Amino acid sequence: MKSLILAGTALTVFAAGTTAVLAADKTAVLENYSNIAEAKYQDSLATAKDLQSAVETLLATPSADNLMAARTAWLAARVPYQQSEVFRFGNAIVDDWEGKVNAWPLDEGLIDYVSASYGGPSDENTLAALNIIANPMFELSGKTIDASTITPALLEGALHEADGIEANVATGYHAIEFLLWGQDLYGTEHGAGMRPWTDYAVGETCTNDNCDRRGDFLKAATDLLVSDLDWMAAQWAESGDARTTLLGDESAGIVAMLTGMGSLSYGEQAGERMRLGLMLNDPEEEHDCFSDNTHNSHFYDGKGVQNVYLGEYTRVTGELISGASLSDLVAAVNPDLDSEMRAKLTATMAALGALKTAGDNGFSYDQMLAQGNAKGEALIMGGINGLIDQTRSIERVVSALNLDGVAIEGSDSLDNPKAVFE
Amino acid sequence: MRAIAPALALGLSLILSPLTARADMVDDVLDQQILPGMMSLASTASQLAEVAQADCRADSPRLRQAFGATFDAWISVSHLRFGPSEADNRAFALAFWPDSRGKIPKELAKIIAEAAPSIDQPSAFASYSIAARGLYALEFLLYDPDLSTRGTPETRCRLTRAIAGDIATTAAAIQTDWQHSYAAQMRRPGDRYQTKAEVKQELFKALNTGLQITADMRLGRPLGSFDRPRPNRAEARRSGRSLHHVELSLQALQPLARALAGDNLELAARFQTAFAQTLTATARLDDPTLAGVGDPGSRFRIEALQQQVNDLRNLAATDLGPSLGVTPGFNALDGD
Repeated sequence: MKSLILAGTALTVFAAGTTAVLAADKTAVLENYSNIAEAKYQDSLATAKDLQSAVETLLATPSADNLMAARTAWLAARVPYQQSEVFRFGNAIVDDWEGKVNAWPLDEGLIDYVSASYGGPSDENTLAALNIIANPMFELSGKTIDASTITPALLEGALHEADGIEANVATGYHAIEFLLWGQDLYGTEHGAGMRPWTDYAVGETCTNDNCDRRGDFLKAATDLLVSDLDWMAAQWAESGDARTTLLGDESAGIVAMLTGMGSLSYGEQAGERMRLGLMLNDPEEEHDCFSDNTHNSHFYDGKGVQNVYLGEYTRVTGELISGASLSDLVAAVNPDLDSEMRAKLTATMAALGALKTAGDNGFSYDQMLAQGNAKGEALIMGGINGLIDQTRSIERVVSALNLDGVAIEGSDSLDNPKAVFE
Repeated sequence: MRAIAPALALGLSLILSPLTARADMVDDVLDQQILPGMMSLASTASQLAEVAQADCRADSPRLRQAFGATFDAWISVSHLRFGPSEADNRAFALAFWPDSRGKIPKELAKIIAEAAPSIDQPSAFASYSIAARGLYALEFLLYDPDLSTRGTPETRCRLTRAIAGDIATTAAAIQTDWQHSYAAQMRRPGDRYQTKAEVKQELFKALNTGLQITADMRLGRPLGSFDRPRPNRAEARRSGRSLHHVELSLQALQPLARALAGDNLELAARFQTAFAQTLTATARLDDPTLAGVGDPGSRFRIEALQQQVNDLRNLAATDLGPSLGVTPGFNALDGD
């Protein structure tokens, strides 16, 4: 999910002026952050494995119950993963990898059948309606692709981001989501995707053709998700790359933490994911648009930001990981600012909590997006305003911690704008 | 000694007066750039709405001229995406771009087909999708071969007037906020900005945002990759304004960089030189829609221009930030 518009907000650091005591504190803060990252990716992995076995059960014994069980497993898998999104910006290793697992939004017609109203190939994407599941052999950028066997290698190689188009998503949570739910054809009315379980049935019961290939696609995408998460969890282990890079330069590490918090809060979540969808009144702009799980995705994204500042995370098992935090560092230099930051994060979580509660109680996110739905707009804007407001305090934290002077080792695009064009 | 001291002091004060008399940096940017820029946006937009009432034909020279003047005014302040333009999502309503999923033509086609009475109600139209509002939507109605001829002339006319009127309302709201409250908040930090440094950081971010939009989006989107250039992604290519926007944005950012350099004359001079060179390169391109991205012979010149803009960004990051004593902070372009 790299794009042309990252960049520009590389925060900067200087080590001069920081005391030895503070440096020791920073190590503890970074270690706790890395422990939390490792736990979140381990939890994401464990829940993805649950999803994988639910998918295997569905494919072995297709039934309505088994499709429902796979959907439930997918929803559970999103909870820890969304809380990990705060690690993306600032940690190049995560940002470079993220597009494999959480690419969005997607032109789902690339993967499978879609309704007539979806339209055909578009100016931006000639492959928008390719339907790989129905086509074992097709042309892509002048080359013939043999998709007669659908494998993880095919998905991540030839198909994902095919033709250099980001909306050609063949891997990750949202490809799997589409395969489990199908298109949400309710627009801004209540209701999610209604894919029948018989889309995975064998023999004559099979609906919408090519059930075996659809099953192969679902299995390949799920297996790939598990192996990708496994890789990322390992990067945060004791000698993993993500952890050693972060601890290699402590001030830059602290900046990476804050960059993740600020970039996710403002540009990504408040802007791209929430405000744009609201202003377009467009359910296709929903983050989890097939499953109508967007209210949860937003809530747990916000939770991840708060986790980083407070240095704590509750695992899917209920175990609490907690330790030295950014909050401690800020409280030591400016207790008022620490209170301000905590209060802002709390306010955002209250707003996102209201959104989540409404969604959990049947006021679905696509209804909230509808033109003229004042209640929905107020709920979404509440979250947006909280996120924007907390970003200002994050900027103050950067200043208060004297993080000033040396360019951050962030994502490619953060510190090397050219790289995203290569 | 005593006798000549006052004379010397007087002499010095005369020499120094151009510097000391110069307004505070923030006042300077507000009075010389932001407030006049917002005034110009509001007045050109109001003119546009009037002209659309008088003549709504897509090929009307008067209408196109008024459209161009408003678009010019917007691009010249489009880097100031904070405060009044962020409130009530006004900048989104005025300027939805890039439209990477092709929502604008889809939404306009739908509205023309439905021809609903609510188009004519300004308050109802303000609740429409941003894909059907603002300058980029109006460009489609005036210049796109399909949309400028779709449906009945009467429906297109109503929609043109609705969009123009909505643009004028939004521009007026931005201008009013700046005039009546926001400029004062920037001059006297307290609530929205806690310190003078936060105000300077906001302006520094605006400079970075403008340079980033020009390098990564105005130039970067059509450039795509060498193997896959994307000329159709050039901003406002239908009206032939793509390169013009690059030029307008550089012309708006140059005085901002100069003002933020303040008393650091050496840095001010470097900005002056770098902006002048970049503007010269822009003028030499002679490729209004940036269609040359697809031709290896001309592509390299567009790439070189993009590099020059990125060099300006680097100069801001490495020298201007420290000179102002502020960090780059976050902007709306962070994220995917």
